[in-house]
Amino acid sequence: MNYMITKYIKSIVLIVILVFASCKNKEHQYHNLNEKIEAKSANYSGTNISSEVYNETIKKIKISEGNKEFYISERKSQITSYSCSECHNQPIKLLKDTQVGKKAHWDIVLNHANKETMNCNTCHAKDNMNELRSITNKAIDLNLSHKLCSQCHQKEGKDWVGGAHGKQIGGWAPPRLSQTCTGCHNPHSPSFEKRWPAQFNTQKVKERQ
Amino acid sequence: MSSNNKKWFSLNLTNKSNKSESCGCGKEFDSCSDNNQKDGYDQIMDVPMDRRSAFKKITAGLLMGAGAVSTSCSVVSGDDSKEKSSIEWEEYFKGNYKLMTDEERNSTVDRLVRSYELRKGKKLNISSKDAEDDVLFGYAFNISKCQGYMDCITACVEENNQDRSSQMQYIRIHEMEEGKGFNFEESDDNYYHEVPAEGHFYMGTQCFHCDNPPCIEVCPVEATWKEKDGIVVIDYDWCIGCRYCMAACPYDGRRFNWKTPEVPEEEVNKNQHYLGNRLRKKGVMEKCTFCVQRSREGKNPACVEACPTGSRTFGNLLDPNSNIRWILENKKVFRLKEDLGTEPKFWYYMD
Repeated sequence: MNYMITKYIKSIVLIVILVFASCKNKEHQYHNLNEKIEAKSANYSGTNISSEVYNETIKKIKISEGNKEFYISERKSQITSYSCSECHNQPIKLLKDTQVGKKAHWDIVLNHANKETMNCNTCHAKDNMNELRSITNKAIDLNLSHKLCSQCHQKEGKDWVGGAHGKQIGGWAPPRLSQTCTGCHNPHSPSFEKRWPAQFNTQKVKERQ
Repeated sequence: MSSNNKKWFSLNLTNKSNKSESCGCGKEFDSCSDNNQKDGYDQIMDVPMDRRSAFKKITAGLLMGAGAVSTSCSVVSGDDSKEKSSIEWEEYFKGNYKLMTDEERNSTVDRLVRSYELRKGKKLNISSKDAEDDVLFGYAFNISKCQGYMDCITACVEENNQDRSSQMQYIRIHEMEEGKGFNFEESDDNYYHEVPAEGHFYMGTQCFHCDNPPCIEVCPVEATWKEKDGIVVIDYDWCIGCRYCMAACPYDGRRFNWKTPEVPEEEVNKNQHYLGNRLRKKGVMEKCTFCVQRSREGKNPACVEACPTGSRTFGNLLDPNSNIRWILENKKVFRLKEDLGTEPKFWYYMD
């Protein structure tokens, strides 16, 4: 009988110890990272960190796409010879022949899709060089290049609005200021060029010999 | 500092006294009931004094501080060298950063700044900024976009004051053959030819700041830990250089200083954090800290800012409107060696 009681007490003590031992760490209250993120962001109300100070000098435009509202950098004021119509007041051919003033971007070669798909008129309006043109011949502001590009590059456009394509300037913290399409891509030759890597680790070569 | 909460001995050569009334258990820990909690050197030395322990203390003091004392007591040496040895002494006996009060953190930062000023004549800006509430940092990497330019590595080395002579790098960019999946054995992380190479894709690895990091479990002195905002950090002054963490990391995320790191004076990034890019010494571990000196201020890590392709996204996982959250919720993301249960906060995705 006495033996039974001791055994009983022992098992209770063991259970109590186990309970305490297994709950010693508050860290393990979530089963996985996703659960933790979900639980901790349920009552998210913002932080004190802002990236506004890093973007102060950049001229911005607020845009609204889908259910996202964010800033993009303004472009027109950054183009040295805007407005375009100051030179482009007659067809290119005539401009080339008469050639008054400086040659601004006479060396542009279109390396974007193929000739059957795209030419200058796909994006530029003959009658108004100060703005862009959609495929259905509607005006698009030169600042809003994403509206033009996402006509064909729909998936990239969607990813850009969400935040998976392109990058946020200044910092990770809100308010979000996104690089526009033309911030990274040259619209006349949009793919990235081949080049040599910025690094070569000669020590790593030695270590691995 | 109050005498019952003193964590190390002061030589007090310059007669600057520090007073501290705050609790000795640090901010991270909830319980402040035990005001006499001891750590570091105190655990051994700050005990009720009998003759034997007093003797011990004197011997230790003689051994450890022989150099310092000899300089400071010398009539020939100047005020600067006295201050230098006083700083060395205080630094030698300071506690683990994790357990320091805010005041102690500030004073060790001040000492480091002063010590650098005495040695090099230049002012550093070292921060001890704590993790912000409602922030959990995460990282996403687009494998379709990376072109293998390695601009990220250059930016990282410059930002984080890594040893130039051994060319230490936190980030590795792996060149992988298309159609073979992630095959690290056959990939090349030190290529030098025009990129992107035909038929290859590029992916970067670095410290993934796991939510369940195996590296911190194995540290025998608790010199490495996970901060509240998810960044896994190292106290370079508490690390004993055993490299257990290096062995425990399944991602090759940690680096060891086999020799004293060399950074040319004009290249030193003077904007530093105690747990981040401050200058390291021989025999300690280091690794990516998500540029803690930048990220806690709202900036992107140097690698994210330097990437010309937009492959790298950094942000707050707890902010439902952040770019990183959109990626996690809308792209097909995966992590490396997910089956290990380390829960890296570093996701890969494709277009």
